[in-house]
Amino acid sequence: MNNLFDFSTFSRQSTKGILVIYIAHLYKFLKLTWILVFLMVKDFTKITTKVDALYIYAGIAFFLLFFLVRTYFIFKNFQFKIENEHFILKQGILKKTNTAIPFHRIQNINFKQNIVQQIIGVFEVSIETAGSSTTEISIKALSLQKATALKEVISKNTKLSEEEVVEEQQTKPLVRIGVKELFKVSLTENHLQNLLLFFAIVIGLLQQLQQVTDSLGKTEVIDGFIEENTNAISASIFLIIILLLLLTVVALVSSFVRVFLVHFNLTAYLKEDAFEINQGLFTKKSIILKKQKIQNITISTNPLKRLIGISFITFKQAVSGKLNNKKKDKLIRIVGCKKEQVEIIKASLFEPSEVENNEKKLPENYYKRRIFIFTFLFLIASYTIAYLIFSNLEIFYSTIVVIPIVVFLILKKVKKRFYKISDEMLLVGKGLLETHVTYLEIFKVQNIKIQQTIFQKRSNVADLILQTASGKIKIPCIDFKEAIKIYNHTLYKVETSQTSWM
Amino acid sequence: MTDYFQNSEVVSLPDIIKVEFTKIDKNYFKVILINFFLIFNFLFVGLILLDKFTFTEEITAYSIYIYASFTSFFGFIFLFLYFSFSKRMYVLRDKDISYKAGLFTKTITTVPFSRIQHVEIDEKPFSRIFNLASISVYTAGDSSDDLEIKGINKEKALQIKEFISTKIDE
Repeated sequence: MNNLFDFSTFSRQSTKGILVIYIAHLYKFLKLTWILVFLMVKDFTKITTKVDALYIYAGIAFFLLFFLVRTYFIFKNFQFKIENEHFILKQGILKKTNTAIPFHRIQNINFKQNIVQQIIGVFEVSIETAGSSTTEISIKALSLQKATALKEVISKNTKLSEEEVVEEQQTKPLVRIGVKELFKVSLTENHLQNLLLFFAIVIGLLQQLQQVTDSLGKTEVIDGFIEENTNAISASIFLIIILLLLLTVVALVSSFVRVFLVHFNLTAYLKEDAFEINQGLFTKKSIILKKQKIQNITISTNPLKRLIGISFITFKQAVSGKLNNKKKDKLIRIVGCKKEQVEIIKASLFEPSEVENNEKKLPENYYKRRIFIFTFLFLIASYTIAYLIFSNLEIFYSTIVVIPIVVFLILKKVKKRFYKISDEMLLVGKGLLETHVTYLEIFKVQNIKIQQTIFQKRSNVADLILQTASGKIKIPCIDFKEAIKIYNHTLYKVETSQTSWM
Repeated sequence: MTDYFQNSEVVSLPDIIKVEFTKIDKNYFKVILINFFLIFNFLFVGLILLDKFTFTEEITAYSIYIYASFTSFFGFIFLFLYFSFSKRMYVLRDKDISYKAGLFTKTITTVPFSRIQHVEIDEKPFSRIFNLASISVYTAGDSSDDLEIKGINKEKALQIKEFISTKIDE
């Protein structure tokens, strides 16, 4: 099967790739300059009176041509092959780079398809490694056959016999989320979070717009607009209600859009040593997740989701450097899992039953006290500041509502904190409104830290921080003796384990 | 074969609390002192300049208090540095390296050798005067929380690095 394509000599991408790269370039260019273009189109007649329109057309044509030539050379110089269990890539027009990645360092091979790629029928293949972020390769356009062949060569170069098993399982996916289920998932999303995300995007766009209009001296218009509206709002409660309704609609819609964009037609297959996950509406993504590379998994749910019996699983893989927003995209989620499916996924990765049946251990009372003290200090401080600014005693009326809510949330948070430990595994539960339960195999810990403030010493408790290759796991405020016991046990497990953590 | 496969249960694990930690080199306190006084003097000169040139009449009336609070603030920092210095300790065991520190917030960090990606030795200018170095070990993932021991004798640091390197390769 794999003999169809010969990877031992250098080969280029599919010729259709030129189009894909070209459009991607134009899109990137437009994204950077959209405001300028927008202004130019808007005031086209005004500008043309000063400059000859011909120059503008010539300029646009020049850019288009320049990008085309550039694209052609990028395409021409992009060559890859496989040699000695290494993936080798040559690229660059003026600055030539030669990258070689050994197979065992490859973490994932993902297929992606954006709209252009879907129309012309090619796949983008990205090869992720756990090393530095620069050694991440994406091949923009390959035909499906070639892409699968490449994936197979890399992921199964040693065990070809497994293929049959894989084919068989491919017919019945572990999880398939149809439109109806996806609808349920979006309805039960954390809408508040989605609303905040939506506002972040809007504010980002507004700032970009403001920067440009600032430089053009048009700020008064926007400022005036905002001022007018804020005056109107403070004048009428009716408007506030409308605004609240609007916010609810926006929250719901943004939840739906987000979920449908990312998780549309989600199917997950369970394979011998990996998971395969396909999802996405406009950009179709196919992810191969090697079981060995998974550092820990988190199973999350919220009251609404629990009502209809679904939860989502987040897989965490090794990352390098600090966890930032860009890397958070690397977290792979399967939404809308039913209980049996969660059990299957857990069982395929490790032995969850022992740790789950163990006794649930809660943090000491000190934990509750600490959160209460800190929250109320924060509340007092913010009320003082608010009072100093507005010098209006009426703001203190809001405490009647705020304090019960805060107390309720804190109690919720404290109640959700627990941990269970067995010989091989650690299970940590946390959450505020949502519930997250993280499963960690103890030998995958990278380093361990115990922390105790002088206040904690008086109550004889300590915080335990386990560092894994995919981030920290914290167990706050447990009995000091217990913490030391876990500390010693973890080190013992890590130091005697022969299994590779990745 | 008379020998049975033996794998007796581990009854007690090595306890991190019972291990004897080594204090870091005393000379490192001098390095801390130099750094401390450099910052102190720099800010103090800045304060004097502010006092001479930009302070208005009303503020100058309180300048004695400003100076007093400035010095006492740094006095507390000095005391903190002094007392927390003796808390900085490290230990190498057969399979891991640990570092203990903190006056008000005590922390113990342990990195098993089998998880170390690489080891680094740094020599800062002032440390070099006293023949001191700092040793950092890095593991996979978020590296900001890995282990760094400042102020070890340079020869000793090189020895530790050698020791760890051989252990990683095992």
